[in-house]
Amino acid sequence: MKNIIELLKRHFVFVLFLILFVFSLVVLFSSNRYHKASFVSQSSDWVGKIYDWRDQLQRYLRLKEINDQLALENANLRSQLPENYFFIDTTTHNVQDSIRKQRYFFRSAKVSNASVNRESNYLTLDRGRLGGILPNMGVINNGSVVGVVTSVSDHFSVVLPILNPKFQESVKMKGSGDFGLIAWPPGSDPAYADVKDIPKHVQVSIGDTVLTTGYGSHFPADLFIGYVSELNDQPEENFHRIKIQLATDFRKLSHVQVVSDILKQEQDSLLIQQQQRDGVEDNN
Amino acid sequence: MGSKTITSFLRIFFLLFLQALVVSRLQLLDGFVLPWVYIFGILMLPFDTPKWLVLILAFITGYFMDLFTGPMGMHMTACVVLGWLQPMVQRLMSPREGYDAIQEPTIQKMGLSWYLTYAGILTFCHHFILFYAETLRITPFWYQIGHIVFSAIGTLILLVVGQYLIFNKKVKN
Repeated sequence: MKNIIELLKRHFVFVLFLILFVFSLVVLFSSNRYHKASFVSQSSDWVGKIYDWRDQLQRYLRLKEINDQLALENANLRSQLPENYFFIDTTTHNVQDSIRKQRYFFRSAKVSNASVNRESNYLTLDRGRLGGILPNMGVINNGSVVGVVTSVSDHFSVVLPILNPKFQESVKMKGSGDFGLIAWPPGSDPAYADVKDIPKHVQVSIGDTVLTTGYGSHFPADLFIGYVSELNDQPEENFHRIKIQLATDFRKLSHVQVVSDILKQEQDSLLIQQQQRDGVEDNN
Repeated sequence: MGSKTITSFLRIFFLLFLQALVVSRLQLLDGFVLPWVYIFGILMLPFDTPKWLVLILAFITGYFMDLFTGPMGMHMTACVVLGWLQPMVQRLMSPREGYDAIQEPTIQKMGLSWYLTYAGILTFCHHFILFYAETLRITPFWYQIGHIVFSAIGTLILLVVGQYLIFNKKVKN
Protein backbone atom coordinates (compact mmCIF):
# COMPACT_ATOMS: atom_id res chain seq x y z
CA MET A 1 0.00 0.00 0.00
CA LYS A 2 2.80 2.36 0.98
CA ASN A 3 4.60 1.51 -2.23
CA ILE A 4 1.55 2.36 -4.31
CA ILE A 5 1.26 5.77 -2.65
CA GLU A 6 4.98 6.37 -3.23
CA LEU A 7 4.55 5.40 -6.88
CA LEU A 8 1.58 7.73 -7.27
CA LYS A 9 3.54 10.57 -5.67
CA ARG A 10 6.48 10.08 -7.99
CA HIS A 11 4.28 9.96 -11.12
CA PHE A 12 1.78 12.53 -9.86
CA VAL A 13 1.83 14.64 -13.04
CA PHE A 14 1.37 11.62 -15.30
CA VAL A 15 -1.53 10.32 -13.18
CA LEU A 16 -3.13 13.77 -13.28
CA PHE A 17 -2.67 13.82 -17.05
CA LEU A 18 -4.31 10.41 -17.40
CA ILE A 19 -7.28 11.41 -15.24
CA LEU A 20 -7.87 14.67 -17.17
CA PHE A 21 -7.35 12.97 -20.54
CA VAL A 22 -9.78 10.13 -19.83
CA PHE A 23 -12.30 12.64 -18.46
CA SER A 24 -12.02 14.72 -21.65
CA LEU A 25 -12.48 11.67 -23.84
CA VAL A 26 -15.59 10.63 -21.90
CA VAL A 27 -17.03 14.12 -22.32
CA LEU A 28 -16.09 14.12 -26.01
CA PHE A 29 -17.75 10.82 -26.83
CA SER A 30 -20.84 11.34 -24.70
CA SER A 31 -21.45 14.78 -26.19
CA ASN A 32 -21.15 13.47 -29.73
CA ARG A 33 -23.56 10.63 -29.19
CA TYR A 34 -26.29 12.69 -27.51
CA HIS A 35 -25.90 15.68 -29.69
CA LYS A 36 -28.79 17.52 -28.10
CA ALA A 37 -27.15 17.57 -24.70
CA SER A 38 -24.06 19.17 -26.15
CA PHE A 39 -26.01 22.23 -27.13
CA VAL A 40 -26.79 23.09 -23.59
CA SER A 41 -23.38 24.70 -23.80
CA GLN A 42 -24.09 26.68 -26.97
CA SER A 43 -27.41 27.89 -25.72
CA SER A 44 -26.25 28.41 -22.15
CA ASP A 45 -26.92 31.91 -21.04
CA TRP A 46 -23.55 33.56 -20.59
CA VAL A 47 -21.97 32.26 -23.76
CA GLY A 48 -25.16 33.30 -25.53
CA LYS A 49 -24.85 36.77 -24.05
CA ILE A 50 -21.26 37.16 -25.19
CA TYR A 51 -22.14 36.09 -28.72
CA ASP A 52 -25.14 38.39 -28.61
CA TRP A 53 -22.93 41.29 -27.63
CA ARG A 54 -20.52 40.58 -30.46
CA ASP A 55 -23.39 40.29 -32.85
CA GLN A 56 -24.84 43.62 -31.82
CA LEU A 57 -21.52 45.21 -32.72
CA GLN A 58 -21.41 43.43 -36.05
CA ARG A 59 -25.00 44.26 -36.87
CA TYR A 60 -24.30 47.91 -36.20
CA LEU A 61 -21.49 47.86 -38.71
CA ARG A 62 -23.71 46.24 -41.32
CA LEU A 63 -26.85 48.32 -40.75
CA LYS A 64 -27.11 49.61 -44.28
CA GLU A 65 -26.86 46.21 -45.89
CA ILE A 66 -29.35 44.76 -43.42
CA ASN A 67 -31.78 47.60 -44.02
CA ASP A 68 -31.71 46.94 -47.74
CA GLN A 69 -32.23 43.27 -47.11
CA LEU A 70 -35.16 43.96 -44.78
CA ALA A 71 -36.84 46.30 -47.21
CA LEU A 72 -36.53 43.72 -49.94
CA GLU A 73 -37.80 41.05 -47.63
CA ASN A 74 -40.81 43.15 -46.58
CA ALA A 75 -41.73 43.65 -50.20
CA ASN A 76 -41.32 39.96 -50.87
CA LEU A 77 -43.41 38.92 -47.90
CA ARG A 78 -46.17 41.34 -48.78
CA SER A 79 -46.45 39.87 -52.21
CA GLN A 80 -46.27 36.34 -50.87
CA LEU A 81 -48.95 36.75 -48.24
CA PRO A 82 -51.80 34.94 -50.02
CA GLU A 83 -49.53 31.94 -50.53
CA ASN A 84 -49.43 31.26 -46.80
CA TYR A 85 -53.14 30.49 -46.84
CA PHE A 86 -54.99 27.55 -48.24
CA PHE A 87 -58.47 27.19 -49.67
CA ILE A 88 -61.24 25.65 -47.65
CA ASP A 89 -63.50 23.81 -50.07
CA THR A 90 -65.37 26.71 -51.65
CA THR A 91 -68.30 24.75 -52.99
CA THR A 92 -69.65 23.85 -49.58
CA HIS A 93 -68.29 26.52 -47.27
CA ASN A 94 -68.66 29.69 -49.23
CA VAL A 95 -70.99 31.08 -46.57
CA GLN A 96 -67.96 31.85 -44.40
CA ASP A 97 -66.53 35.37 -44.33
CA SER A 98 -63.18 34.21 -45.51
CA ILE A 99 -62.49 31.42 -47.89
CA ARG A 100 -58.99 31.05 -46.59
CA LYS A 101 -57.61 30.02 -43.23
CA GLN A 102 -54.10 30.71 -42.07
CA ARG A 103 -51.80 27.72 -42.01
CA TYR A 104 -48.23 29.00 -41.49
CA PHE A 105 -47.09 31.54 -38.94
CA PHE A 106 -43.74 33.38 -39.18
CA ARG A 107 -41.63 34.74 -36.36
CA SER A 108 -38.49 36.76 -37.01
CA ALA A 109 -35.25 36.02 -35.19
CA LYS A 110 -31.66 37.19 -35.34
CA VAL A 111 -28.74 34.84 -35.89
CA SER A 112 -26.41 35.27 -32.93
CA ASN A 113 -23.83 32.66 -33.89
CA ALA A 114 -23.17 30.66 -37.02
CA SER A 115 -20.53 28.37 -38.44
CA VAL A 116 -20.23 27.50 -42.13
CA ASN A 117 -16.81 25.93 -42.46
CA ARG A 118 -17.05 22.94 -40.11
CA GLU A 119 -17.88 19.32 -40.88
CA SER A 120 -21.26 19.81 -39.18
CA ASN A 121 -22.48 23.37 -38.89
CA TYR A 122 -25.06 24.89 -36.57
CA LEU A 123 -26.70 28.29 -36.12
CA THR A 124 -27.81 29.86 -32.85
CA LEU A 125 -30.83 32.19 -32.85
CA ASP A 126 -31.50 34.82 -30.20
CA ARG A 127 -35.07 33.67 -29.67
CA GLY A 128 -36.10 30.60 -27.70
CA ARG A 129 -38.97 28.89 -25.99
CA LEU A 130 -40.23 32.15 -24.46
CA GLY A 131 -40.26 33.64 -27.96
CA GLY A 132 -42.54 30.85 -29.18
CA ILE A 133 -39.89 28.70 -30.85
CA LEU A 134 -40.14 24.92 -30.58
CA PRO A 135 -37.96 22.09 -31.96
CA ASN A 136 -38.75 20.95 -35.52
CA MET A 137 -39.88 24.36 -36.76
CA GLY A 138 -38.50 25.37 -40.14
CA VAL A 139 -36.17 28.36 -40.53
CA ILE A 140 -36.16 30.45 -43.71
CA ASN A 141 -34.53 33.63 -44.95
CA ASN A 142 -36.00 35.79 -47.69
CA GLY A 143 -38.23 32.95 -48.81
CA SER A 144 -35.45 30.39 -49.08
CA VAL A 145 -34.67 27.46 -46.82
CA VAL A 146 -32.10 27.78 -44.02
CA GLY A 147 -32.67 24.81 -41.71
CA VAL A 148 -34.70 23.22 -38.91
CA VAL A 149 -34.71 24.07 -35.18
CA THR A 150 -33.26 21.17 -33.18
CA SER A 151 -33.01 22.34 -29.59
CA VAL A 152 -34.37 25.26 -27.62
CA SER A 153 -33.54 26.97 -24.34
CA ASP A 154 -35.51 29.82 -22.78
CA HIS A 155 -33.85 32.58 -24.80
CA PHE A 156 -31.90 30.83 -27.53
CA SER A 157 -32.42 28.10 -30.06
CA VAL A 158 -30.09 25.98 -32.16
CA VAL A 159 -30.77 25.37 -35.85
CA LEU A 160 -29.58 22.45 -37.96
CA PRO A 161 -28.89 24.17 -41.33
CA ILE A 162 -28.64 22.64 -44.79
CA LEU A 163 -24.87 22.77 -44.20
CA ASN A 164 -24.98 19.78 -41.88
CA PRO A 165 -24.91 16.12 -42.96
CA LYS A 166 -27.75 15.40 -40.50
CA PHE A 167 -30.10 17.76 -42.33
CA GLN A 168 -32.72 15.81 -44.30
CA GLU A 169 -35.50 17.26 -46.38
CA SER A 170 -37.27 16.17 -49.52
CA VAL A 171 -37.07 18.55 -52.47
CA LYS A 172 -38.67 18.70 -55.89
CA MET A 173 -37.73 19.99 -59.31
CA LYS A 174 -39.87 22.97 -60.23
CA GLY A 175 -40.90 21.91 -63.71
CA SER A 176 -41.48 18.18 -63.44
CA GLY A 177 -42.31 17.96 -59.74
CA ASP A 178 -40.06 14.91 -59.21
CA PHE A 179 -38.86 14.35 -55.66
CA GLY A 180 -35.32 13.99 -54.42
CA LEU A 181 -33.36 14.37 -51.21
CA ILE A 182 -31.00 17.20 -50.39
CA ALA A 183 -27.61 16.36 -48.86
CA TRP A 184 -24.57 18.41 -48.04
CA PRO A 185 -21.19 16.60 -48.24
CA PRO A 186 -19.52 17.29 -44.86
CA GLY A 187 -16.95 20.06 -44.98
CA SER A 188 -17.66 21.12 -48.57
CA ASP A 189 -18.30 24.56 -50.03
CA PRO A 190 -21.12 26.30 -48.08
CA ALA A 191 -22.61 27.73 -51.28
CA TYR A 192 -23.48 24.32 -52.78
CA ALA A 193 -25.30 21.10 -51.89
CA ASP A 194 -26.20 17.85 -53.65
CA VAL A 195 -29.61 16.52 -54.69
CA LYS A 196 -29.96 12.74 -54.74
CA ASP A 197 -32.52 10.15 -55.80
CA ILE A 198 -33.85 11.88 -58.90
CA PRO A 199 -34.08 9.12 -61.55
CA LYS A 200 -32.33 9.50 -64.88
CA HIS A 201 -35.50 9.51 -66.98
CA VAL A 202 -36.35 12.92 -65.52
CA GLN A 203 -34.92 15.69 -67.64
CA VAL A 204 -32.78 18.01 -65.56
CA SER A 205 -30.81 20.91 -66.98
CA ILE A 206 -28.50 23.49 -65.52
CA GLY A 207 -30.39 26.45 -64.11
CA ASP A 208 -33.48 24.45 -63.06
CA THR A 209 -35.09 25.56 -59.81
CA VAL A 210 -35.28 23.28 -56.75
CA LEU A 211 -38.15 23.81 -54.30
CA THR A 212 -39.45 22.35 -51.03
CA THR A 213 -42.19 19.72 -51.23
CA GLY A 214 -44.07 20.71 -48.08
CA TYR A 215 -44.29 17.04 -47.08
CA GLY A 216 -41.92 17.20 -44.15
CA SER A 217 -44.18 19.85 -42.62
CA HIS A 218 -41.13 21.82 -41.50
CA PHE A 219 -41.65 24.16 -44.43
CA PRO A 220 -44.52 25.31 -46.62
CA ALA A 221 -44.47 23.90 -50.14
CA ASP A 222 -42.67 25.67 -53.02
CA LEU A 223 -40.07 27.52 -50.97
CA PHE A 224 -36.92 28.26 -52.87
CA ILE A 225 -33.84 26.08 -52.17
CA GLY A 226 -31.52 26.72 -55.07
CA TYR A 227 -30.59 26.32 -58.73
CA VAL A 228 -29.01 23.35 -60.46
CA SER A 229 -25.43 24.39 -61.10
CA GLU A 230 -23.71 21.16 -62.21
CA LEU A 231 -24.66 17.71 -63.50
CA ASN A 232 -22.09 14.95 -62.94
CA ASP A 233 -24.05 11.92 -64.15
CA GLN A 234 -22.27 8.56 -64.07
CA PRO A 235 -23.28 6.12 -66.83
CA GLU A 236 -23.56 3.11 -64.47
CA GLU A 237 -25.97 4.79 -62.03
CA ASN A 238 -29.74 5.11 -62.27
CA PHE A 239 -29.94 8.49 -60.60
CA HIS A 240 -28.73 11.94 -61.51
CA ARG A 241 -25.85 13.48 -59.62
CA ILE A 242 -27.02 17.04 -59.21
CA LYS A 243 -25.11 19.86 -57.59
CA ILE A 244 -27.17 22.91 -56.69
CA GLN A 245 -26.22 26.42 -55.75
CA LEU A 246 -28.05 27.28 -52.53
CA ALA A 247 -30.32 30.33 -52.53
CA THR A 248 -29.35 31.19 -48.96
CA ASP A 249 -25.99 32.85 -48.44
CA PHE A 250 -25.05 31.32 -45.09
CA ARG A 251 -22.03 33.54 -44.63
CA LYS A 252 -24.13 36.69 -44.57
CA LEU A 253 -27.13 35.37 -42.68
CA SER A 254 -28.34 37.79 -40.01
CA HIS A 255 -32.15 37.86 -39.86
CA VAL A 256 -34.27 34.75 -40.36
CA GLN A 257 -37.92 33.74 -40.00
CA VAL A 258 -39.03 30.71 -38.06
CA VAL A 259 -42.05 28.97 -39.57
CA SER A 260 -44.60 27.20 -37.45
CA ASP A 261 -47.21 25.02 -39.06
CA ILE A 262 -50.46 25.66 -37.20
CA LEU A 263 -52.09 22.50 -38.54
CA LYS A 264 -49.08 20.23 -38.02
CA GLN A 265 -50.56 18.50 -34.99
CA GLU A 266 -53.84 17.88 -36.74
CA GLN A 267 -52.08 16.45 -39.78
CA ASP A 268 -49.75 14.24 -37.72
CA SER A 269 -52.46 12.92 -35.41
CA LEU A 270 -54.65 11.94 -38.35
CA LEU A 271 -51.79 9.93 -39.84
CA ILE A 272 -51.08 8.27 -36.50
CA GLN A 273 -54.77 7.39 -36.07
CA GLN A 274 -54.79 5.79 -39.50
CA GLN A 275 -51.59 3.87 -38.80
CA GLN A 276 -53.01 2.62 -35.50
CA ARG A 277 -56.20 1.55 -37.22
CA ASP A 278 -54.17 -0.34 -39.85
CA GLY A 279 -52.17 -1.96 -37.06
CA VAL A 280 -55.36 -3.22 -35.35
CA GLU A 281 -56.69 -4.65 -38.62
CA ASP A 282 -53.41 -6.42 -39.26
CA ASN A 283 -53.57 -8.02 -35.82
CA ASN A 284 -57.07 -9.30 -36.50
CA MET B 1 5.65 35.01 -9.11
CA GLY B 2 2.35 36.57 -8.04
CA SER B 3 2.13 39.20 -10.76
CA LYS B 4 3.46 36.71 -13.34
CA THR B 5 0.67 34.27 -12.47
CA ILE B 6 -1.99 36.97 -12.75
CA THR B 7 -0.57 38.10 -16.09
CA SER B 8 -0.70 34.49 -17.32
CA PHE B 9 -4.35 34.16 -16.24
CA LEU B 10 -5.34 37.43 -17.89
CA ARG B 11 -3.47 36.48 -21.05
CA ILE B 12 -5.27 33.13 -21.24
CA PHE B 13 -8.69 34.75 -20.87
CA PHE B 14 -7.93 37.56 -23.29
CA LEU B 15 -6.83 35.01 -25.89
CA LEU B 16 -9.96 32.91 -25.35
CA PHE B 17 -12.12 35.93 -26.17
CA LEU B 18 -9.89 36.92 -29.08
CA GLN B 19 -10.22 33.40 -30.47
CA ALA B 20 -13.99 33.13 -30.01
CA LEU B 21 -14.91 36.63 -31.12
CA VAL B 22 -12.40 37.39 -33.87
CA VAL B 23 -10.10 34.61 -35.06
CA SER B 24 -12.76 31.89 -35.33
CA ARG B 25 -14.71 34.19 -37.64
CA LEU B 26 -11.91 34.36 -40.19
CA GLN B 27 -12.86 32.37 -43.26
CA LEU B 28 -9.52 31.65 -44.90
CA LEU B 29 -9.90 29.54 -48.05
CA ASP B 30 -13.41 28.40 -47.05
CA GLY B 31 -12.28 27.28 -43.63
CA PHE B 32 -9.43 25.16 -44.95
CA VAL B 33 -7.09 27.21 -42.76
CA LEU B 34 -8.50 27.55 -39.25
CA PRO B 35 -5.99 29.02 -36.78
CA TRP B 36 -6.38 28.37 -33.04
CA VAL B 37 -4.31 31.14 -31.44
CA TYR B 38 -5.74 30.68 -27.94
CA ILE B 39 -3.06 28.05 -27.20
CA PHE B 40 -0.57 30.95 -27.03
CA GLY B 41 -1.70 31.40 -23.39
CA ILE B 42 -0.38 27.92 -22.58
CA LEU B 43 2.76 28.22 -24.71
CA MET B 44 3.68 31.47 -22.90
CA LEU B 45 3.58 30.04 -19.36
CA PRO B 46 6.94 30.82 -17.63
CA PHE B 47 9.55 28.05 -17.58
CA ASP B 48 9.28 27.64 -13.80
CA THR B 49 5.53 26.91 -13.79
CA PRO B 50 4.94 23.53 -12.07
CA LYS B 51 3.92 20.76 -14.48
CA TRP B 52 0.65 20.05 -12.69
CA LEU B 53 -0.33 23.73 -12.93
CA VAL B 54 0.35 23.74 -16.69
CA LEU B 55 -1.92 20.69 -17.01
CA ILE B 56 -4.74 22.22 -14.96
CA LEU B 57 -4.54 25.57 -16.77
CA ALA B 58 -4.57 23.83 -20.16
CA PHE B 59 -7.59 21.79 -19.10
CA ILE B 60 -9.50 24.91 -17.97
CA THR B 61 -8.58 26.73 -21.20
CA GLY B 62 -9.88 23.81 -23.24
CA TYR B 63 -13.09 23.71 -21.20
CA PHE B 64 -13.86 27.37 -21.86
CA MET B 65 -12.99 27.08 -25.55
CA ASP B 66 -15.43 24.15 -25.76
CA LEU B 67 -18.15 26.30 -24.22
CA PHE B 68 -17.65 28.75 -27.07
CA THR B 69 -17.41 26.37 -30.00
CA GLY B 70 -20.06 23.70 -29.57
CA PRO B 71 -19.74 19.99 -28.80
CA MET B 72 -17.94 19.58 -25.48
CA GLY B 73 -14.65 17.71 -25.17
CA MET B 74 -12.73 18.51 -28.38
CA HIS B 75 -10.63 21.37 -27.04
CA MET B 76 -10.42 19.77 -23.60
CA THR B 77 -8.79 16.65 -25.05
CA ALA B 78 -6.40 18.57 -27.29
CA CYS B 79 -5.43 21.03 -24.53
CA VAL B 80 -4.79 18.34 -21.92
CA VAL B 81 -2.34 16.68 -24.30
CA LEU B 82 -0.81 20.10 -25.04
CA GLY B 83 -0.43 20.80 -21.31
CA TRP B 84 1.28 17.46 -20.83
CA LEU B 85 3.66 17.86 -23.78
CA GLN B 86 4.61 21.50 -23.10
CA PRO B 87 7.00 20.86 -20.15
CA MET B 88 8.45 17.82 -21.99
CA VAL B 89 9.25 19.83 -25.12
CA GLN B 90 10.71 22.61 -22.96
CA ARG B 91 12.99 20.11 -21.21
CA LEU B 92 14.08 18.49 -24.50
CA MET B 93 15.00 21.87 -25.94
CA SER B 94 16.66 23.39 -22.88
CA PRO B 95 19.95 25.20 -23.61
CA ARG B 96 23.13 23.72 -22.08
CA GLU B 97 23.18 26.16 -19.17
CA GLY B 98 19.46 25.63 -18.39
CA TYR B 99 16.68 28.18 -18.36
CA ASP B 100 17.00 31.33 -16.35
CA ALA B 101 14.23 31.19 -13.72
CA ILE B 102 12.55 34.41 -14.82
CA GLN B 103 12.54 33.67 -18.56
CA GLU B 104 9.41 33.19 -20.55
CA PRO B 105 9.45 31.39 -23.90
CA THR B 106 9.30 34.40 -26.26
CA ILE B 107 11.05 35.03 -29.57
CA GLN B 108 12.90 38.00 -28.09
CA LYS B 109 14.45 35.92 -25.33
CA MET B 110 14.95 32.55 -27.01
CA GLY B 111 15.45 33.41 -30.68
CA LEU B 112 13.24 32.79 -33.70
CA SER B 113 14.44 29.31 -34.67
CA TRP B 114 14.13 28.01 -31.09
CA TYR B 115 10.66 29.46 -30.85
CA LEU B 116 9.47 28.10 -34.20
CA THR B 117 10.58 24.58 -33.26
CA TYR B 118 9.03 24.80 -29.79
CA ALA B 119 5.72 26.32 -30.90
CA GLY B 120 5.68 24.29 -34.12
CA ILE B 121 5.82 20.89 -32.40
CA LEU B 122 3.19 21.83 -29.81
CA THR B 123 0.87 23.58 -32.27
CA PHE B 124 0.95 20.66 -34.68
CA CYS B 125 0.23 18.11 -31.92
CA HIS B 126 -2.62 20.24 -30.57
CA HIS B 127 -4.20 20.80 -34.01
CA PHE B 128 -3.80 17.15 -34.92
CA ILE B 129 -5.67 15.89 -31.86
CA LEU B 130 -8.23 18.71 -32.02
CA PHE B 131 -9.09 17.97 -35.62
CA TYR B 132 -9.52 14.24 -35.19
CA ALA B 133 -11.45 14.77 -31.94
CA GLU B 134 -13.81 16.96 -33.94
CA THR B 135 -14.36 14.73 -36.97
CA LEU B 136 -13.73 11.24 -35.49
CA ARG B 137 -12.97 9.82 -38.94
CA ILE B 138 -10.00 9.69 -41.28
CA THR B 139 -11.48 9.50 -44.77
CA PRO B 140 -10.39 12.34 -47.09
CA PHE B 141 -6.92 11.65 -45.69
CA TRP B 142 -4.74 14.15 -47.56
CA TYR B 143 -7.36 16.87 -47.31
CA GLN B 144 -7.43 16.40 -43.54
CA ILE B 145 -3.64 16.35 -43.22
CA GLY B 146 -3.48 19.49 -45.37
CA HIS B 147 -6.10 21.15 -43.21
CA ILE B 148 -4.12 20.36 -40.05
CA VAL B 149 -0.74 21.42 -41.45
CA PHE B 150 -1.97 24.67 -42.98
CA SER B 151 -4.03 25.56 -39.92
CA ALA B 152 -0.93 24.99 -37.77
CA ILE B 153 1.12 27.20 -40.10
CA GLY B 154 -1.60 29.86 -39.89
CA THR B 155 -1.52 29.71 -36.10
CA LEU B 156 2.29 29.96 -36.06
CA ILE B 157 2.28 32.99 -38.36
CA LEU B 158 -0.26 34.75 -36.15
CA LEU B 159 1.76 33.88 -33.01
CA VAL B 160 5.04 35.17 -34.45
CA VAL B 161 3.55 38.35 -35.94
CA GLY B 162 1.62 38.96 -32.72
CA GLN B 163 4.76 38.67 -30.62
CA TYR B 164 6.72 41.09 -32.80
CA LEU B 165 3.84 43.56 -32.54
CA ILE B 166 3.30 43.28 -28.77
CA PHE B 167 6.71 42.73 -27.22
CA ASN B 168 8.73 45.17 -29.32
CA LYS B 169 6.79 48.04 -27.75
CA LYS B 170 7.74 46.86 -24.27
CA VAL B 171 11.41 46.94 -25.17
CA LYS B 172 11.17 50.53 -26.37
CA ASN B 173 9.51 51.68 -23.17
